[in-house]
Amino acid sequence: MPLPKPKALFEPEVTSFADIAVLLIIFFILTTTFVVPAGNKLDIPSASTDPAASQQKQLSVDLAGSEIRFGPAKRTMSLDELRAALLEREFKKKPADQRIVIVNSAPDVPYGIYFEVVMAITNADGVLALIEDEGKTPR
Amino acid sequence: MSVKRKKRMRTLVPTTSMADIAFLLNIFFMVTSNFIKEAHIEINQPSSPEIDAMKESQISVTMDRNGELWLQGKPCPAEILEEGVRALILEHADKLVMVKIDKDVRQEKYGPVFMALSKAGAELALVGQKRKE
Repeated sequence: MPLPKPKALFEPEVTSFADIAVLLIIFFILTTTFVVPAGNKLDIPSASTDPAASQQKQLSVDLAGSEIRFGPAKRTMSLDELRAALLEREFKKKPADQRIVIVNSAPDVPYGIYFEVVMAITNADGVLALIEDEGKTPR
Repeated sequence: MSVKRKKRMRTLVPTTSMADIAFLLNIFFMVTSNFIKEAHIEINQPSSPEIDAMKESQISVTMDRNGELWLQGKPCPAEILEEGVRALILEHADKLVMVKIDKDVRQEKYGPVFMALSKAGAELALVGQKRKE
């Protein structure tokens, strides 16, 4: 009885796989958008030993709801007016201790407004100071 | 007279290994890519015209719209935030902490967070979106 003829080896064509893989790489390289964080770095000075005394001398911004008050006269102003008022102070030419701006914020102030005020201070080369309320811990 | 054409040698470039190279490249990029740790946290970022692109930090603190706190993308009880950030600063040898807070969160929630971060010795980088005016 004759032996069965050995079957020819089946070799799939894999050359085009390289093209597919390279095309995939090119597609992902071109379509990838990297996340670039945007924001501002804050220089927060170390705590003052007597915050009540220092607060009287420093400039402060008071926030209550959407109301912004600034300066010794505590004048109510818009965000754009605050930006202009902060730029007028020319903090860049002043020593570090005269650049400090305290932000007194009421408990109901949303972060969106606080963020804009802090960015305005930073942009005008002011230094934000944090005042701690005694006994307050994050909840 | 019959002219015999000289037979040209066919050159075959072996391209099978190209697939291996391409797939190895794919695997390399997949393994080395850093995915966003906080993709699962929903926050509406605040916006301002006065912000620019900044250096990314390895430490991040996020507060979502419900006031829930997340450290490195994991839930973090507020009481241990200061301790956790201090440990991360030592681990990464970098003081810069990226702070992402939902724009509608109230001061009574985010105020103490800033204080805790400041006490931990962190340099704060507030993250937001650039708004065109």
